[in-house]
Amino acid sequence: MAAVRTSSEITVNRIAIVAVLLVTIIFLAPIYWIASTAFKPRNLATTIPPTVVFQPEISPFVKLFTKRSQLRSPPSPEEYAAAPWWERVVFDGGEKIVRDGKGQVQWSGYPSRFMNSLIIAITSTVLAVGMGTFTAYGFSRFKVKGEADLLFFILSTRMLPPVVVAIPMFLMYRAVGLNDTHIGLIILYTAFNLSFSVWLMKGFMDEIPKEYEEAALVDGYTRMEAFFKIVLPEAATGIAATAVFCFITAWNEYAFALIMTNRRAQTAPPFIPSQVGSGLPDWTVIAAGTFLFLLPVAIFTFLLRNHLLRGMSFGAIRK
Amino acid sequence: MTQIELRGIQKFFGAVQVIKDLNLKISDNEFIVLLGQSGCGKTTTLRAIAGLETIDEGDILIDGKPVQHLKAANRDIAMVFQSFSLYPHMSVYENIAFPLRATRQSRAEIDSEVRSVAKTLQISDLLAKKPSALSGGDMQRVAIGRALVRRPKAMLMDEPIGALDAKLREEMRAEIKRLHIKQGSTTIYVTHDQIEAMSLADRIVIMHEGVLQQVGTPDEVYSRPANLFVAQFVGSPVMNVADAAVAETASSVSVSVGGVASGFEFPRALLSKLNGHAGGSLALGIRPEGVLLRRAAADGFVPVETQIVEPLGSFDIVDLRVGSEMLRARTKSGFISGPGEKVFARIDPTQAHFFDKASGKSLEVRL
Repeated sequence: MAAVRTSSEITVNRIAIVAVLLVTIIFLAPIYWIASTAFKPRNLATTIPPTVVFQPEISPFVKLFTKRSQLRSPPSPEEYAAAPWWERVVFDGGEKIVRDGKGQVQWSGYPSRFMNSLIIAITSTVLAVGMGTFTAYGFSRFKVKGEADLLFFILSTRMLPPVVVAIPMFLMYRAVGLNDTHIGLIILYTAFNLSFSVWLMKGFMDEIPKEYEEAALVDGYTRMEAFFKIVLPEAATGIAATAVFCFITAWNEYAFALIMTNRRAQTAPPFIPSQVGSGLPDWTVIAAGTFLFLLPVAIFTFLLRNHLLRGMSFGAIRK
Repeated sequence: MTQIELRGIQKFFGAVQVIKDLNLKISDNEFIVLLGQSGCGKTTTLRAIAGLETIDEGDILIDGKPVQHLKAANRDIAMVFQSFSLYPHMSVYENIAFPLRATRQSRAEIDSEVRSVAKTLQISDLLAKKPSALSGGDMQRVAIGRALVRRPKAMLMDEPIGALDAKLREEMRAEIKRLHIKQGSTTIYVTHDQIEAMSLADRIVIMHEGVLQQVGTPDEVYSRPANLFVAQFVGSPVMNVADAAVAETASSVSVSVGGVASGFEFPRALLSKLNGHAGGSLALGIRPEGVLLRRAAADGFVPVETQIVEPLGSFDIVDLRVGSEMLRARTKSGFISGPGEKVFARIDPTQAHFFDKASGKSLEVRL
């Protein structure tokens, strides 16, 4: 059978496709910019007009992970020949990798900042989503006195830009010794994400029919068992979506990380721009750091993409 | 052997009383149907028995032991929900095995139980499927399988076939009945569909606004309704109810309806059976099959005019105007050709019911 579509519908459809493509390009352009800069030779990073075709290099990543200093004189041919390939690419850029007295390569601050970001973002996401799920279940299933007021109160923590409370928070944290600690940032991000998590999860919980748990209760299970065996699997979609949002928020947070941490618990966001420093910034290294920083969120979201699309089988209840 | 007894159950939702002093004894293996309109308290009663709803007063006894303080899980009762409530993330097999897993039985035992229930319900080929891949009837079978597998003390069913289409409903109704005869467990079934109730129940419990109206076999509630509500709720088409005036004539008793001078003829015995209510405000109840029609005038027949004819295949339902009232009569199909026909009607005294209009109660007149 021939498709029945009028010419105006076809035109609208084409316009829509063009619009979607345009929006996609606008959204992806910065990511392309960062990714391409991360693989550019240093001298091509800031050319005008931008260089699009170039021989990709790995040197920005080597530089990102190591401590370097400027070469006063070029390395001797023997020194150059003896160096591994990753050290040679640094020599080529007019720098050398700093080694300690025993000849061990000195790591830059990036790997530890990256690890801090992972630890803090993952822990706070697990806590926020876990507590949020339980709280949302409570609000969704039980008669809670003053439910509307409590939910509003929970949401009110999001009603001002968090950075407004940065100074008092800093003073409080310093007083109790939480500044520049992992725990400090984890508490902060968990608290910040919790209201969001409760509200989002409540929406998902409300959608899970009560009859599922009631069936489980009659089938001989306690409410706790029913929660873990029936409600949690049903809420997987919601939990995944909430986790992605909480993780992204914690992962990308900049202001508090900048104010509350400086070394031990510093996360990647405040560290990457600090590399700009004085003198001539090496944009390729900054781009490499940013590029690697984007990967975990991209991977995390990619892994959960099936859950994010609401394709779960909700056909087993007939209304 | 499971007996269930409800003693003085009261239940409030806020200020609204949804169950008012409910007393009921259900004997072993009995199939009880709670029948009533939506909001009459029948589902709340069922949920209270299951332990999904608390009660404010009274006792729920299972085999003589009060269970109102026990959790649902500890009452050993199975329930089939209107929505079926199959767990969507589990296969049919897992759904049926789920209640057994709570009892910590061995894998082999669970497997054999699940397969035997599946065989009984003819769903063995569906065990690997997910609920979302099933048809309505199969979902229903799985839901019943999940309830049966544990061999519970009692089965509770909350409008289990209400979500199915008409043809499937009829099939499943027969299947539920067959299963009950085979398995023989005490069953409480909630429905608003009186045909379902009539066809399934050993006894029907009719509820209205939280109050139990009548308990009886299908035949009892149909032929001897305790009050006007039951009279008009049970039976399709609905029983005719009309204000009636009783007058004594020379040879018999005349019951006139709709202010018409010539009344329907009743035997003299009616007066004594009405026991002094003859002068009060009475309502006459008569099912359409109790209104007899003929074309020619005859003794005891009252002239009436036909209004609407509803052909229903095996019979017709004819609306008759009797003064200011309408009576519906059941005739053989094609007996009345259309509206506006003048025919003659009589009421079969043996099928007539008399109600006190003020209280709505039946006066228990049997002629």
